[in-house]
Amino acid sequence: MDAVTSLFPWITNGPLIVVQVMSGLSVAMFLFLVSVGMSLIFGVTRIVNLAHGSFYMVGAYLMVTLVETLPAHQAMFWVALVLAPLGVGLLGGVIEVTLLRRIYHREPLLQLILTFGLILVIGTLVLLVWGPDNKSVARPDALAGSVRIFGQPFPSYYLLVLGLAPVVAIALWIVFYRTRWGMLIRAATVDREMLGALGVDVATLYTQVFIFGSWLAGLGGALSAPTVAVALGMDSDVLTTAFVVVVIGGLGSFAGSFISALLVGELQSFGILVFPAVSIVLLFAIMAVVLIVRPWGLLGRPEE
Amino acid sequence: MTSVRWLVALALLLVLPLVLPSFLVVVMTEIAIVALFATAFNLLMGFGGMVSFGHAAYFALGAYAAALLVKQAAWPMPLALATAPFVAAAGALFFGFFIVRLTQTYFAMLSLAFAQIVFTVLFKWKTLTGGDDGILNVWPPPALKSPLAYCYFTFAVAGLAMLALRAIVDSPFGYALRAIRENPRRARFIGVNVRRHQLFAFVLSGFFSGLAGGLFAFFNGSVFPDFAYLNKSFEPLVVVLLGGIQSFFGPLAGAVGFKILETFIARQWPVYWPLFLGSAVVLVVVALPQGFVGLLQRRSWRIRAAR
Repeated sequence: MDAVTSLFPWITNGPLIVVQVMSGLSVAMFLFLVSVGMSLIFGVTRIVNLAHGSFYMVGAYLMVTLVETLPAHQAMFWVALVLAPLGVGLLGGVIEVTLLRRIYHREPLLQLILTFGLILVIGTLVLLVWGPDNKSVARPDALAGSVRIFGQPFPSYYLLVLGLAPVVAIALWIVFYRTRWGMLIRAATVDREMLGALGVDVATLYTQVFIFGSWLAGLGGALSAPTVAVALGMDSDVLTTAFVVVVIGGLGSFAGSFISALLVGELQSFGILVFPAVSIVLLFAIMAVVLIVRPWGLLGRPEE
Repeated sequence: MTSVRWLVALALLLVLPLVLPSFLVVVMTEIAIVALFATAFNLLMGFGGMVSFGHAAYFALGAYAAALLVKQAAWPMPLALATAPFVAAAGALFFGFFIVRLTQTYFAMLSLAFAQIVFTVLFKWKTLTGGDDGILNVWPPPALKSPLAYCYFTFAVAGLAMLALRAIVDSPFGYALRAIRENPRRARFIGVNVRRHQLFAFVLSGFFSGLAGGLFAFFNGSVFPDFAYLNKSFEPLVVVLLGGIQSFFGPLAGAVGFKILETFIARQWPVYWPLFLGSAVVLVVVALPQGFVGLLQRRSWRIRAAR
């Protein structure tokens, strides 16, 4: 025990651990928003959208612009938080209709290559529109400070994120399991040919799902904008972490994304305490273990 | 006929650097390096049906190994260059062990994720790699320092490596790899150890990518973490897509086209280069699945994934 406490002095610091758990939960919330969208799009269209991190980045940058251009009023933060993800949803819709729709019948690898190409295109366009400098978004006044939790400071904005997490998770659960549209999505995940044969307009469903998934990524980006430096490298960072989340949870699984986002969020939060520089390597080590034991993820299904 | 054509090509390669302005000699050197990188990549993609989205990792491992051995361990340059591919192959063996367990989508994504790890390590391990500043002044010995000398040196090394790759593709191993690409299950029934063949191909591909990286380190005179970044992983993919997948020399033709485009676009408008690269990939996928060379040849091919 002495060896442990000397290596990890924080281990006896209860309040610090609580705060660390909570910040891990808020990281998990962002991860969940991105990875559930990615997983959803994969489940229905069988396309792994590698540009999903780029959508997240666009959401954050739109947030920057909206907060700057909307009239300076406290309520405008919330307006921007609604509008930015809608903009990303629109972008996703345009990409689906003009590009992805042409390649659904083609080899999965070509689809991957296409979304891989979109990373570069979107990344450069963001550079051209917003420039190379990092941006930041001011938190609304009510959430700008921090609260004390067991004596440890904790940013109030993260409380908002933590409060939203269960709301979003329950809302998504209702959409997936209690609406007709959600039923169609789940049906498409199981057998899309059959769904089409039963008279459902699958092409429209694909577009809707892609827009919805992009919207979720945009929401994650917009919500995270006040917590990070909005920068050009966000796309690949987010893609990599979201990828770890979906691989651990299983592509196409809603619950898998949720559990795995929690796991990865906490790991990141504590990994920074344990191995500050290389916490990402720890994540990949866990992913490697999952891939060896269950290559299709904790709650996913084996590939056909 | 073919041997005559070969001799003409060889003569051209020997004479061209002498008559071209030194600016184009540099471009030709780079073409040879890119062609080697893309051909190594295509051993996986074209012949093995495995698409790696993170091949920059092995290129970067080779480049950093060469640079570090020369700078930190003060090894002579030829020895460092000869060791670089083995370091890259060791990396490919370690990552490949996990990657070849997966297929198609997961294969591509895991390779991308591992390349991100390599990038992160190169970026953050400042004491060894210099982080963002990279490692500077990695030059070949005086005898090879002139653009012309290094051009011939690169031609010789890359040429021999491509001959070796050609021999691999034409060997029984190469045919087993094609069999796995076409139908992994049937390949297994006739006694091919699918996963071991795929891993071996992955390691070989990493080996030659590392050699390309080592050549590039001395060509460039410096190495940076960007060598392991996404944009670099795009390069062989775009080159192979431009050149066509299932011919051995497709990547070579693609590299010529790619470098000419890069020379004119990237130097004029460096900011637009990634945009161009990305759009080219998107357009080729949507409009010209055969690649430009494939379009000329009208040869049908299919990418088959290893299942």
